[in-house]
Amino acid sequence: MSLGVSIAALMRASLLTTMRYRASFIGEAVMAVAWAAWTTAPLFVVFDQAPTLAGWTADEALAVVGFFIIAQGVLEALVDPNLRAVVEHVRQGTFDFVLLKPLDAQLYVSLHRTEPLKLVHCLVGIGVVGYAADAVNAGPVELLSATLLMLAGLTLLHSLWTVVVSSAFFFVKVDNLSWLIRAGLDAGRWPVSLYRGFVRFVLTFVLPIGLVTTYPALALRGELKPSTGLGAMVIAVLFAGVARIAWTQSLRRYSSASS
Amino acid sequence: MIQVTALNKVYTVPKRGEGLWGSLRSIFSREVEEVRAVADLSFSIEAGERVGFLGPNGAGKTTTLKMLAGLLVPSSGERVVAGFDPSKRDPAFLRRITLVMGQKQQLLWDLPPIETFALNRALFGLEEAQAKRTQDELIQLLELEPLLNRPVRNLSLGERMKCELAAALLHRPDVLFLDEPTIGLDVRAQVAVRRFIAEWNERSGATVLLTSHYMADIAALCPRVIVIAGGALRYDGPLKDLAERYGGGRKVVVRTREEAPETLGPFVREDGALVARLPSAEVAAAVDFALRQVAVADLSIEEPPLEDVLSKLFAERT
Amino acid sequence: MFRAFPTLLRIGLAEAVAYRAELVIWVLTATAPLISMFIWDRVAEEGPLGGWGQGEMARYFLLALIVRHITSAWVVWELNENIRTGSLSPMLLRPMHPLVFFVAQNLSAMPLRAVILAPLIVGVLWWRPELLWTPEPWTIALGLVSAVFAWAIAFAAQVIFGSLAFFSQQSLGLFNVYFGLWSLGSGYLFPLELAPDWLRQVLLWLPFRATLATPVELLAGLVAWEDALGLVAAQVVWAVVFVGLAAMTWNLGVKRHEAVGA
Repeated sequence: MSLGVSIAALMRASLLTTMRYRASFIGEAVMAVAWAAWTTAPLFVVFDQAPTLAGWTADEALAVVGFFIIAQGVLEALVDPNLRAVVEHVRQGTFDFVLLKPLDAQLYVSLHRTEPLKLVHCLVGIGVVGYAADAVNAGPVELLSATLLMLAGLTLLHSLWTVVVSSAFFFVKVDNLSWLIRAGLDAGRWPVSLYRGFVRFVLTFVLPIGLVTTYPALALRGELKPSTGLGAMVIAVLFAGVARIAWTQSLRRYSSASS
Repeated sequence: MIQVTALNKVYTVPKRGEGLWGSLRSIFSREVEEVRAVADLSFSIEAGERVGFLGPNGAGKTTTLKMLAGLLVPSSGERVVAGFDPSKRDPAFLRRITLVMGQKQQLLWDLPPIETFALNRALFGLEEAQAKRTQDELIQLLELEPLLNRPVRNLSLGERMKCELAAALLHRPDVLFLDEPTIGLDVRAQVAVRRFIAEWNERSGATVLLTSHYMADIAALCPRVIVIAGGALRYDGPLKDLAERYGGGRKVVVRTREEAPETLGPFVREDGALVARLPSAEVAAAVDFALRQVAVADLSIEEPPLEDVLSKLFAERT
Repeated sequence: MFRAFPTLLRIGLAEAVAYRAELVIWVLTATAPLISMFIWDRVAEEGPLGGWGQGEMARYFLLALIVRHITSAWVVWELNENIRTGSLSPMLLRPMHPLVFFVAQNLSAMPLRAVILAPLIVGVLWWRPELLWTPEPWTIALGLVSAVFAWAIAFAAQVIFGSLAFFSQQSLGLFNVYFGLWSLGSGYLFPLELAPDWLRQVLLWLPFRATLATPVELLAGLVAWEDALGLVAAQVVWAVVFVGLAAMTWNLGVKRHEAVGA
């Protein structure tokens, strides 16, 4: 199947490119652990002052942070490098070459530059989630549903990123956009139920970061209603559709405005 | 192979205010102006032709090329390339064309060119054996052997352009768009590129559309030229007729052994020599005439330089 | 060299306006204080922690947001990019010192950043009006002085890490480490007063608090007169240290840059 061959070739090329830059696995692992440490630190400071917060204990909130760290790892390994590469292409005027390949541009742009070494962060995140899972006595059902929801969340993240990249065609200097996603994701390191009113609404329906981190944590506790879980999947699919539309629209604009 | 009818492209460009107040004002109001990059362009190119696009900077050559490749959507007008509408960017269409841009490359920067070749072979869904054969052929024609395993960033501009050409032609496209391919290259590399393009055109029958500032490129490669200035078509026809029509013909210079007369038939004295500017057909008769009338020390027949011809064309307002 | 400074500022402003979209994004990315504000607001909802009620929490984090933006810099990324792509070399040939250029660039973006920040400030005020307080004039005066020193330390810190790009490809990684520690120790994510005792003791001796916590605490009126001068004095010391280090690493880096070849 030629699509599979294309994808494999792209991933191979991006892997080879990364390998050209000698980065040590140990260095990355140390960084990942350190990063996890100061990501979880504020949580301990907060729960030091208040043993439970909006029905969440420290261990349960730790699961949220764990999923947050996994999402961060995916961002750094699979999302960020691609975003930077697209921005560079648009700036250099070489994005046209992407459009001339007989492969869907969105697919191409999602795969052509990755940093697999950063997936170490995901491993650390999984470690944190594992610890939290143990603390809340999660069984296989809970683990499975948490995994499914996390995958839905990661799909959502990819869609958000696609929307961001789509705007790269409008603004020239968009290196900061990856920071924007990070900042948005930052709100997701706390359980969504801690937020109130308007902010909570935004984080659940408009920029559903809660879906990425809080829902899997709820599933881990065995407290996620099946209807909520299903709703989350639906939202992920909807967002994928929105992202696709944003992408095609901005390509259209690119092909009428660039010179 | 390529048909263009009444093609137009208009850009809206924001006008930015000057000075401090201008900068602040431009946050709130956006003045735009319209720039017509391509105006009512029409032409048609047969398969296997080699056509040169000539024109001053900003004439609309690259814009036209991009519209033909499907990268830009025209404001109005139609074009058909290899039987397709380029804007649809049908994968079948993309397999039939290729674009090479001077100083911009699709080669993967950190990897040896051979990796880009492998990637392109996969992306274009090429059958392995045939692709290998094409690749070997290109490597041989462009003399890429010593370059294959060095990272692209370590290659010189000329070497990169040759690899770029190979990467662009692996899928044996029917149409080859070249946008200033020799810009920035040294003379040797320019010659090599020109020779290759001519060779490839013979071998593969690909249609070649070339834009360039270098007359040498056009003169060496393109029997037919399309001249665009200010976005509009100024000339479409054989290169040699261009000089004929706009160059004021050829310049015949006769140096006489004794002092030259003021006038002599079609000749006029300029800087101590007899000069006549005549259409090609009349040159032989004039030379014959001069040889009979005066003692000739030296005789030369000059083509008007292409640059002069073109400046005249560009300056013309239709 | 400094005669061109006003022109640089004007050009910087024009540039800032031209890239206003990017500036909005930049402002939006520093939302951590807002998030922390919501979280700690929730914590204080059950009941105030010591002297920290919801009003106090909102006040602290709003000031943290403002001070963060006053003292923010991006020169570490600019330097990294410029050194990597070789565009620093032409800057070194100009009669204007590149760092002066970057300072101007930083300062000239402030008006626009203030404009973009204004709606956020208004929004927070509308949400928690009880955060408003009547500060004593000396706290504001000293707070602003403190903010200037905080800016100097933060900028110098970025110059240090940016200059490391002369020596290593990993300099941004090192900056990330610094940033992580900074976010913990500067009072950005939680008021230092609310941290566990052992952590607070450690953080007292680190420079991070001088870049954010000190000016914020001063402006919020959380510091008594006797302690205030001590805090600012600590800032001065850190500023001297950081600026000195910045000058040193920069000069060493430029020397190496010239030796290795651009």
